[in-house]
Amino acid sequence: MAMVLSSKISRELVERIKEISGQNPNLCMQCGTCSAGCTGREFMDFLPRQVMRMIQLGNAKALNFKSIWICSTCLICTARCPRGIDIARLMEALRVINLRQGREVLVAEKIPLELLTQVPQMALTSGFRKLSA
Amino acid sequence: MRIPYFPGCTLHSKAKGLDYSTRGSLAALGIELTELPQWTCCGTVFPLAQDNYIGMVAAARILANAAKEEGGKLVTVCSFCYHVLKRVNYVIKNNLEARTKLNDYLEENYTGEIEPVHPLEICKEDVGFNVIRDKAARSLKGLKVACYYGCMLVRPASEMNFDDPENPTIMEELVSALGAEVVEYPNKTTCCGSYQVLHDNALVMQRVEDILNSATAKGAEAIITSCPLCQFNLDWLQEKILQENAGFQKIPVLYFTQLLGLALELPQESLGLDQHYVDPRPLLVGA
Ligand code: SF4
Ligand code: SF4
Repeated sequence: MAMVLSSKISRELVERIKEISGQNPNLCMQCGTCSAGCTGREFMDFLPRQVMRMIQLGNAKALNFKSIWICSTCLICTARCPRGIDIARLMEALRVINLRQGREVLVAEKIPLELLTQVPQMALTSGFRKLSA
Repeated sequence: MRIPYFPGCTLHSKAKGLDYSTRGSLAALGIELTELPQWTCCGTVFPLAQDNYIGMVAAARILANAAKEEGGKLVTVCSFCYHVLKRVNYVIKNNLEARTKLNDYLEENYTGEIEPVHPLEICKEDVGFNVIRDKAARSLKGLKVACYYGCMLVRPASEMNFDDPENPTIMEELVSALGAEVVEYPNKTTCCGSYQVLHDNALVMQRVEDILNSATAKGAEAIITSCPLCQFNLDWLQEKILQENAGFQKIPVLYFTQLLGLALELPQESLGLDQHYVDPRPLLVGA
């Protein structure tokens, strides 16, 4: 698929996303199967299909989408994509680029005490691993 | 039969009921779980970034240590532990670069020879549902149970290789063997929102309400799962859902091993039935 990228920065970004995820976002044919089943869809600003499209376009705005932090890595999208794209890995790549720049969304002090003391340990470990730098 | 066992951090603290009921019920079925002499947290999540080897080290260490025990298998029941151990093992087996890097780091020579197994698989393959049917003295007859798998047990199918990814039935087979009635509902592999409970509570609440309502609408009286986080999300949030929606119908959420333990007539105090937010005892103790 021929893709016109708007700037050098975008090209570099797409290469990094591909490298970290090991996935080729250009395989996406925009069918929307991923979005239809997505666990977080109603709380996302852009659905997984739209995130895929923005990556195809090399649009760095994808890095600032709320959606990448709403993703719960449930792998429904990955399991169902007819093009065999591991979308969860692409979501992870977008998070990882943010995290490596020190941007994070889960901050220990903001977790309500009631929740913090009752939630199972593995929720804390997994939450911090996915959402904190 | 003795098999090495990895409980994982949550089973020694917030999910003791899952630990006790797993050990107890498998023991009653002739399988003794022997806890690994040394272990750490498995890391809980499988790293999806290709270059994140450090995220696999903990699981690799656990697997390499299990390989020093007898039996060639490692049992673990928490869905997150099972997911990460199985996927890291798959990587070590199939990706030479990852295997070399992890072994260099660990100073081991582990090649993926351990088979991580789930107690549901032990019940089906090593014990057999027929044997369980014969041993289940206490009849759960009439109890309507919805089986909830969530995300980590079944996906991705190629690596987890655990039943059908969209329509697994192994837990239902167990429920039938215990004499209870299986409730079919559409959300058994829908994710509950997982660790988002820490970050976006509203999302998890909406997922949980949807999952619970679809089970109760089909007549379920109890839900069973193998994941401490699913159990927590599905159980803890019910009071809050009720506050926002007076018509909401509460339902106890148990570990499948607690139901198994009850049917095998293990002492009730050993099953941790008192540790749930929605108390299952009024339903089960008289069931
Ligand atoms: S399911 Fe796959 S092909 Fe379809 S829109 Fe999503 S990423 Fe693209
Ligand atoms: S892995 Fe993330 S993007 Fe994919 S379906 Fe689950 S929540 Fe949605």
